[in-house]
Amino acid sequence: MKFLFANHIHIARQSIASSRMRSTLTMLGITIGVASITTILALSAGASKIVVDQVDSLGGNIAVIRPGSSEKNSVQGIAQLPIGQQYAASTLSDVDVTTIEKIEHVKAVAPLMVLGGAVSGASKGSPQTPILATTPSLQEISGIEVSDGQFLDPDLIGSTAVIGPQLSIDLYGTDQSIGKTVTIKGKPFTIIGILKRTNTPVNYNSVDFDNAVVINLKEGRELIQGASQIQQINVQSESVEYLDGIITNINKTVLKNHFGQADFTVLSGAEIAQPTSALFTALAGVSVAIAAISLVVGGVGIMNIMLVSVAERTREIGIRKALGATNGDIISQFLIESLALSIGGGIAGYLFGYAIAFIISTFLTFDPVFNLEIAGIALAVSLVIGTVFGLYPAVRAARKDPISALRQYD
Amino acid sequence: MPDTKNPPVIVLKELKKRFGIGDAEHYALDGVNLTIQKGEFIAIMGPSGCGKTTLLNVLGLLDSHIEGEYELDGKSIAYLSAKRQARIRSQQIGFVFQSFNLVSRLNVIDNVALPLIYKGMPHLARQKKASDMLKSFHLGEREFYMPNQLSGGQMQRVAIARALVNDPAIILADEPTGNLDSRASHIIMEELSDLHKQGNTIIMVTHNPDLTTYASRVITMLDGQIDTDTFRLPLPSRTTTKKPLNVIKTPKTKASTKKKAKK
Repeated sequence: MKFLFANHIHIARQSIASSRMRSTLTMLGITIGVASITTILALSAGASKIVVDQVDSLGGNIAVIRPGSSEKNSVQGIAQLPIGQQYAASTLSDVDVTTIEKIEHVKAVAPLMVLGGAVSGASKGSPQTPILATTPSLQEISGIEVSDGQFLDPDLIGSTAVIGPQLSIDLYGTDQSIGKTVTIKGKPFTIIGILKRTNTPVNYNSVDFDNAVVINLKEGRELIQGASQIQQINVQSESVEYLDGIITNINKTVLKNHFGQADFTVLSGAEIAQPTSALFTALAGVSVAIAAISLVVGGVGIMNIMLVSVAERTREIGIRKALGATNGDIISQFLIESLALSIGGGIAGYLFGYAIAFIISTFLTFDPVFNLEIAGIALAVSLVIGTVFGLYPAVRAARKDPISALRQYD
Repeated sequence: MPDTKNPPVIVLKELKKRFGIGDAEHYALDGVNLTIQKGEFIAIMGPSGCGKTTLLNVLGLLDSHIEGEYELDGKSIAYLSAKRQARIRSQQIGFVFQSFNLVSRLNVIDNVALPLIYKGMPHLARQKKASDMLKSFHLGEREFYMPNQLSGGQMQRVAIARALVNDPAIILADEPTGNLDSRASHIIMEELSDLHKQGNTIIMVTHNPDLTTYASRVITMLDGQIDTDTFRLPLPSRTTTKKPLNVIKTPKTKASTKKKAKK
C-alpha cells in the first residue's frame, strides 16, 4: 500500500504537470480562498496579541475588574466598546477599591474612570476627548511613561492634569505644554506632565493615552457631580504566584460589597484582551464566512476539472483496471490528484495571505501573527476541500466499466 | 501440448452472457462449454458478433455478470469479490489488445511497469523488471520513447511485454495483429509462439485464418456458441509461415530474428 501511495503521488504530479495551465487556474480558486482566510486570521490574531503583549510586558501580575457579569461579556463586549454606554452601567464603586486595597499581597490598585467631554487649551479639542480620572498608582500598574514633567500627584495644590502628546499638539501646537492651563468640562487644570507617545490606541485600559488627558480621581468625580462611576479597576499583585489567590479574594470581597450580585468580572492574563479581541473575532468571523464562500467556489472548480480529467482518461482507467487496479486504487489515484490541487492551492494561498497581511499591516498599528493554528487551519481547509470535492469524480472514475472504458478513443 | 493429467486452467459450463433487457434482450454467449488445459495455444475464430470478444472479456474477469459456471484454476469466480478479481487480473492474466492500449501519457518502460504497480512492487524493482522484459523483446533501446514514437508492431510488442511482466498463467489476446501489416503480424505471432513454447497458456481471438497455424487448438464460434473445436497436434510445421520473415530482409527484422536464434 505504501508503494502505491508514492506511486499515486507520482501519477498526480505527472498529470498536473501535463496540463499546467488548467491546474494552475484550478488552484487559483483555492489560493484566493485560503489567502483571504489567512490574512484575516493573521491580522485578528495580531490585534489580540498586541493587548496580550501589553499585559505580559507588565509582568503578568495584573488583574482587571470590570463591571458586568462574565456571561454577557462576549456579546456585550462588541456592542459596548464605546465608553459612554459602559459607565452608565458601571457597578463598581469606591468601596470596592478600598476593600481590594486591603487584600493581602495586593501591591497597587488603580481605579479608572473614563469620562468623555470637551477639552480646550489654546484651541478647542475634540468633544470626545477621553478624560481619565485615576490614581497615581496607574503609572506603575500600566507602565505609563512620562516624557516631560511628572505623573499625577493628589497632594499637589490646585487641579492638575497630565496630557497625551498628541492631545498637547492638538491643543497647543506643541508637545511642550507644561504649565499651561487646559479647560476640562469648563474647569481649569494646570498641566504638570506630558505622557510619552505609545502608539497603542488598542490597549486593555480602553484609553488611547496619546490623545487622553489624565486627572486625579477626586477631581474627576467632581466633574460629574460627585458620583463615582468606575469603569475598570486595575490590580497589581506583589508577584505572579499570588495572582490566583488575589483573584479569588477579589471575587469574594466584591461579591460581599455587592450583596451577592455577580455584576462584575475579574480578568487576568489573556482574558483581559477579550473585549478588544471580541470585536476582531466578530469581524474576522464575518470575513471568514465570506472567504469560505470563495473556497466553496474553488472546490467546485476542482470538482469540475477532476470530472473533465476522469472523462479524458477513461481509456487509461480501463487499461489500469484490466491490468489489475482495484476500484480502491483508482479512487485513491484521482483523490490524491484533487488533493494535490487543493493543497498546492492552499500552500500558495497561505504564503500569499501573509504577503497581503504584511502589506495591510503597514497601515495598521499591529503586525500579523505567525502561529501553527493558522497554518493548521489553512492546511485543514485545503484537505477538506480537496477530499469533499474530489471524492465524487474519483468514485465515478472507479465505477467505470473496464470494457466500455477500453473501447473509448483517446 | 495439453497436459490432460493436470487439472484444467479454465472450465466453462453452459456459460451465458446476456445483453439488454426485455425486447432488446440477446445472448452474446449462449451456452458455451469449454475446457482449457495449461499450455494450450487456442485461436478463436468466427464472424463479427459471434461473441469472441465477449468470451475473452469474461475469461479475463473484465465482465463478471454471467450466467453459468466459470472455474479458473478449479475455483468458481462467482463468489469472488471485485477486489479479488482485480488481484487475479493483476497476477494471473495478461491482456493484449488489438488497439495496443498503451497509456499515451507514459513512456514505454512505465507502460510495461504498469501491472507491477498494482502488485505492490517498489519503483526500482519495477523499472528493472520492465527493462529486462523489454530487452527480451528487443526493445531495450526504446525504453524512454513515448508510445506515439513507435511503429504499430513495436507498440504491440510493448503491449505483449506488459502483458507478460507479471508472469501470468494465461495470456488473452484480442486480435493482436488486427492493426498491423503482415510483416509486423508475423513478428508478433512469432513472439506469441515462443511464449507458447515456454509453456504459457494463450487464448487468441483472430479474424485471420493464416494465424491459426500457430495455434494448437482452433475454435470457431457462431451465434454465441462453439461451432467447431479442432485440436491440431502435433503442431503443423511452421517452416512455411516463418519464411515470409526471412524473405523480407529488412536489417532490423533480420537482426532481431538472429538474436532470437542465439537465445
